[in-house]
Amino acid sequence: MRSLDTPRGRWIRLRMGVVCGLLAFGLGIIVSSGWQLMGREGEQWRELAEKQRQRRLHVTPKRGTIYDRNGSALAVSVEAPSVSLDAVELLRGVSPQKVPVVARDAANRIAAALQLSPAEVERKILAKRRFAWLKRRITAAEAEAIRKLSSKKEAGEERVRGLVVEGEGKRYYPRRELSGPLLGFVAPDGEGKDGFELSMNRELKGHVEQLRGLRDRSGRLLFADGVQDEQVLAGHNLHLSIDQGIQYAAERELAHAARTFEAAGGSVIVVDPYTGELLAMASWPGYNPNDYGDSEPEERRTRGLTDAFEPGSTLKIFTVAAGLAAGAIEPTQKLFCEKGLMAVDNVTIRDTHPAGWLSISQVLAVSSNICSAKIGLSMGGNKLYESLLRFGFGQQTGVPLPGEASGTLRPRGRPWVQVETASASFGQGISTTNLQLAMATAAIANGGELMEPILVRKVTTATGEVVREAAPRVRRRVVSKRVAATLAEMLVAVTEGEGTGTEAALDGYQVAGKTATAQKTDPATGRYSLDRYVASFLGFVPAKKPVVAIAVMVDEPMVEIAGGAVAAPIFRNVARMALKYKGLTPQGTQRVDIASLANAPDPANAAYEVIRQQQGKKPPVQVVSASGPVGAGSVRLPDMTGWPVREAVRRSVELGVTPKVVGTGLLARQEPGPGGVVRKGASVVLVFEPAT
Amino acid sequence: MNRVVNYLRTTTRLGGVDPVLAAVVVALIGFGVVMVYSASVIEATVVFRDPQYFLKRQGVYAALGLVAIIVVSRIDYHKLRPLTYPVLGVVFALMVLSVIGFGHTGGGAARWLRLGPVHVQPSEAAKLALVLWLAYSLEKKRERVKSFSVGMLPHLLTAGALMMLCLKQPDFGGAVVLLFLTFTLLFVAGARLGYLLGVAMVGVGASVWLVRFTNYRWERMLAWFNMEEHRQDLAYQPFQSVMSFGSGEIWGLGLGKGLQVLYLPEAHTDFISAIIGEELGFVGVLCLAAVYLVIVARGVRIALAAQDDYGSYIAFGISVLFGCQALINMAVAMAILPTKGLTLPFISYGGSSLLVNAAAMGVLLNVSRPRLGPANSRVDDPGACPEASATLMSEAGFSAPDGDRARRVKEAVA
Repeated sequence: MRSLDTPRGRWIRLRMGVVCGLLAFGLGIIVSSGWQLMGREGEQWRELAEKQRQRRLHVTPKRGTIYDRNGSALAVSVEAPSVSLDAVELLRGVSPQKVPVVARDAANRIAAALQLSPAEVERKILAKRRFAWLKRRITAAEAEAIRKLSSKKEAGEERVRGLVVEGEGKRYYPRRELSGPLLGFVAPDGEGKDGFELSMNRELKGHVEQLRGLRDRSGRLLFADGVQDEQVLAGHNLHLSIDQGIQYAAERELAHAARTFEAAGGSVIVVDPYTGELLAMASWPGYNPNDYGDSEPEERRTRGLTDAFEPGSTLKIFTVAAGLAAGAIEPTQKLFCEKGLMAVDNVTIRDTHPAGWLSISQVLAVSSNICSAKIGLSMGGNKLYESLLRFGFGQQTGVPLPGEASGTLRPRGRPWVQVETASASFGQGISTTNLQLAMATAAIANGGELMEPILVRKVTTATGEVVREAAPRVRRRVVSKRVAATLAEMLVAVTEGEGTGTEAALDGYQVAGKTATAQKTDPATGRYSLDRYVASFLGFVPAKKPVVAIAVMVDEPMVEIAGGAVAAPIFRNVARMALKYKGLTPQGTQRVDIASLANAPDPANAAYEVIRQQQGKKPPVQVVSASGPVGAGSVRLPDMTGWPVREAVRRSVELGVTPKVVGTGLLARQEPGPGGVVRKGASVVLVFEPAT
Repeated sequence: MNRVVNYLRTTTRLGGVDPVLAAVVVALIGFGVVMVYSASVIEATVVFRDPQYFLKRQGVYAALGLVAIIVVSRIDYHKLRPLTYPVLGVVFALMVLSVIGFGHTGGGAARWLRLGPVHVQPSEAAKLALVLWLAYSLEKKRERVKSFSVGMLPHLLTAGALMMLCLKQPDFGGAVVLLFLTFTLLFVAGARLGYLLGVAMVGVGASVWLVRFTNYRWERMLAWFNMEEHRQDLAYQPFQSVMSFGSGEIWGLGLGKGLQVLYLPEAHTDFISAIIGEELGFVGVLCLAAVYLVIVARGVRIALAAQDDYGSYIAFGISVLFGCQALINMAVAMAILPTKGLTLPFISYGGSSLLVNAAAMGVLLNVSRPRLGPANSRVDDPGACPEASATLMSEAGFSAPDGDRARRVKEAVA
C-alpha cells in the first residue's frame, strides 16, 4: 500500500497492527503453554505416556509349553481368536439422534453372532470406550460371523465397524486330568493360577517388558528394530522330570484305591532315588484343567506337598536309621517290647501286635510302637529331633510349586518332653508332607544321601536354547552307606513272611518298605479320632540298587484302614509299572524261545500258556457246581465275579455266609465257585484284584 | 477456458518474489513431508501394508504444491479479479454437493468430494476463495464499507452461507476460520467497530447456541473441560495429544523416535504438531512457531508494501489465513481449544489443504513482487487519479505492449 501517508492508509495500518497484535498474543499463549507442557510438566507426561504403553499390552506373547521328561506336551498354548470393540469407531459419523438406534441394531447383530446378551453389548457400545472385550476365545464359527459382519464386501453399507478380531493364547491340556493339580491352569487374563502355571508364571508367560511401546492403540503388535519375530518374546518351555507313563499309572492306581476305599484324598510320589528327580506326583481327587471352572479348590491341591499329616509308623524307618547312625542300637540287637503295653510318664503306649523280645528287623516288620519309642528315648529327644531335621522333615523341600507345607516337628515350639519324644519315634505328634517322606525314603534307598528334589529338569527358550538345567544335587549325607544298606535289608522283611506290608511284594523283586496306619487328630476335640486314619506306605524297589522310591498316602479310607491293605497294593502296582517303564526284568524271568512259539500249531494259545504259567495263574475258567436242590440251612452262592468289595461282602452277609476278603479291587475269584452250595455260617473266600 | 489461460499467460516478469518468504515456505513444505512420514509410517504399515504409503502421496502433493506456487506467483494478482466470482461459485457448488450427499465420509465428517480418483476437500478452497472475494469486494466498495447494508451485510451473508455449509459437513474449525477472516478483513478495511461488535455478539451467541444444542459438540466441550475424566473416550484424542507434546520435553525424543503415533488418532493430519512436539521437543515447537511468525510477518510486510488496496487486502487476508490456521491447530493440539478439524498449513498430510495453501502462497508471493506506479488507485474510479489509473492499467497489462511494460518495471526496480 503505497498511500499509507493518507489518513485512510494510516487508519488501515493501525487496524492491521491490531490484528497482528491479536495473532501475536495467540502465539504467545501457544509458546507459553508449550513451555508449561514440555518444559515444566514434560517429565510427568513422559512417564504417563510410558505407563500407558506398558499398561495397554493386554495381549501376551505365546505362553511356553510344559513337557514331560520324554518330550510329551502336557500343557500347550494355542492361538484362539478374541473379539474386541472400538465403540468410538463403531459410532463414528453417526448423528447424535441416531446413536441409540444404531447402537441397538449393532448390538443385536453382534449379540446374535457371538451368542451374547444384546443388552450387555449395547451397554458396551454406549460406553463409547475405544477398547472393550466383547468375547474372548471365540470359536471358528463365531470368528467367521464377525468377519462377515465387519466385511465391506459381504455386509456392504450395513457393516458394523470397530470390531477387532485378534489372536490370543488359549491354554490347552491335551492329557486332560493327567497331572492336573501339578500343572495348574491359566485364567482368561493370561496369568497362571495354580501349580506350575502359577509358580513358573513369569518364565512361561514371556517377556512382556521387552514389548514396551510396540503395540498401537487397538492392541496390534508391531515390532521395533531388534525384535525380529514373536519367538523372542514367547515364554520359556518347561521340561518336567515327570514321566507321563508313570504319572498315569500312579494316578490310576491312586484313584482306583481311593474309590474302592472311599477315601477323602491321597497322593503318590515316585522318585528316582539317585538323582532326586520326581517321576510322578499324583494327587486325588484331581481335576481337568481344561475345565477348571468345574472344579473345587480342594481338588486342585497338589496334596503331596500341600498337605501335612501325622505319618505314623512309616517314620519308624527314620527313627531306626537315626538310632543305628547314632550307635544307640546295633543291627543285631534285640529289644523287649513289653508285651504290648508300656507307660511313659502318664501315658500308656500300646502295640497292635503284642510281642516280647524282637530283633530290630522284626520291630519294623510288626511295627512295634513300644520298641520304636525305646529307640527314640535311648537317643534322647534332641538327638532324634536333629536326626529327623537332617532327613528334611519340618522344612520345605523347595520344589517350585505353590503352597508347599513344611510340616512340624515341634508343634509346641519347644524341645520335646519324654512323652513327645516317645510318640515322635513312631510318627505321632509331628507332621510331614508326603514329599518329605518320599525324599527321606529315597535317601535310605540311594545309600544315605538326601537329594534335592527335581521337578523341572530344563527350561528352554522358544527357539530351544537352554536357559537353565537342573543337575542332581546332594543336600547332605544323612546316614552312612552301611546303615542305609542294613536298613534296606530290614525293610525287605516288612514285605515278606509275617510283615505288615506283604501286599507290596512284587514277584521277582525284593521290595523294601514300611506301612503306616496313622490315626488322625479330630480338629473338634483335639484327640485322636477313632474312625479317621491315614494309610500310607513308603518303599523302594529293588531293595539293592533301587530304581524307584515311592511314597503312597491315602487320606481317610473308609472300608479298610490299614496301610498294608490300602496303600501297599498301590505301591506294588505303581512300582511294577515304573519298573517296566525303566526296562527292568524281574529276577527269575524265564527266557522264552520265540521261534519255537511261532512254530507251534496255535502260536497265540502257546504264547498265552507260557505267560499264564509265568504268572502262576490258574486257568481263567472257574469250575461251576452243577445246579441241584439246596438243602435247608444251605445256600447257593451267586456268581459275584467283577463285584466291588462292599457289594460282595454285603451279599455274602445277606446269604448268611462269612466272607473272607483277600486283596482289593473287584472280585476275581470266589471259593467255592459260583453255584457252589455251602452251609450257612460257613466261610467263603473272596479274592479281589484291582481292575486294570 | 483457453481465453482464460491465454489471459493469464500474458504476464511478463515483474520484480522478484520475497526471497525470505519463498525460502521459508519451501523449507516448511519439505519439513512437512518428513514429519508426515514419521507420523504416518505405522498406520501406513498396518492399514496399507506399505510404510511409505502416505510419504509417497505427500511427496507428490508437495511437488505439485511447489509447481502451484511457482505458476501462481507468476500470474499477476490483478488478473485474478475477474476470476473472483467464478471461483467463489465453483467452491460454493462443490460445498453444496459435498453436503447433499456426494460427500465422502472420513474422520467422522463428510468433508471430501470424490472427483474421479482424487478426493477434494472444498472447504479448504473456500477459505482462499473467500479471501479473494472479500479483497475484491472491499476494495471496490472502499468508503462504502462503513455502511451496514453495503459494507457489512453482503459480506456477512456470503461468509455466513459458506459457514453454514461448513457446519453442515460438519467442519466447525473451517467455519471459525471463515468467520475470523471475514471479521479481520472487514475490520481492516474500515468497517464500523459498532457494527462489527454487534455482529460479533450475535455470532458468539449463535456459536454458543450451536455448541450447547448440538449434542456431540456439547459433549466434546464438556469432555474438554474434564479432560482427565474423559481421557479414555471423548477427550482421548486431545489427552493423547497433550501427552505427546509433554513427553517431548525440551529436546524431543528425536526424529522418527516418537511413540505416541501408536495412540494418537489423526497423527499425520490434524495432530501432526503433537508429533513434532514429541519428536523435536519444545525447541522444535519454538522453531515452528518462529517459522509461522516469519510467514505472517513477511505477509503483513507485503500487505503494507502492496501497490494497491486490493493487493494489500489479499496479502493480509492470506497471511491471517496461514496465521490463524496454524495458531488454532496448535492450540487444539495443546488442548487450549476444544478439538476442531483444522490442518497445520504446509505440514499436515492432505492434498487439498497443501495445494490450496500453496496456491494462496503463490498469490501472496506474486503480491510481493515490486511494481511501478502510484498505488491506491482503482481501475473503476478514474476520477480519483486519471494518470495513475492509466499507468496502473498499462501496468496490469490491459493495453500497453509487453516490451514497454518490461522496461518500466526494470526502471521501477532500479
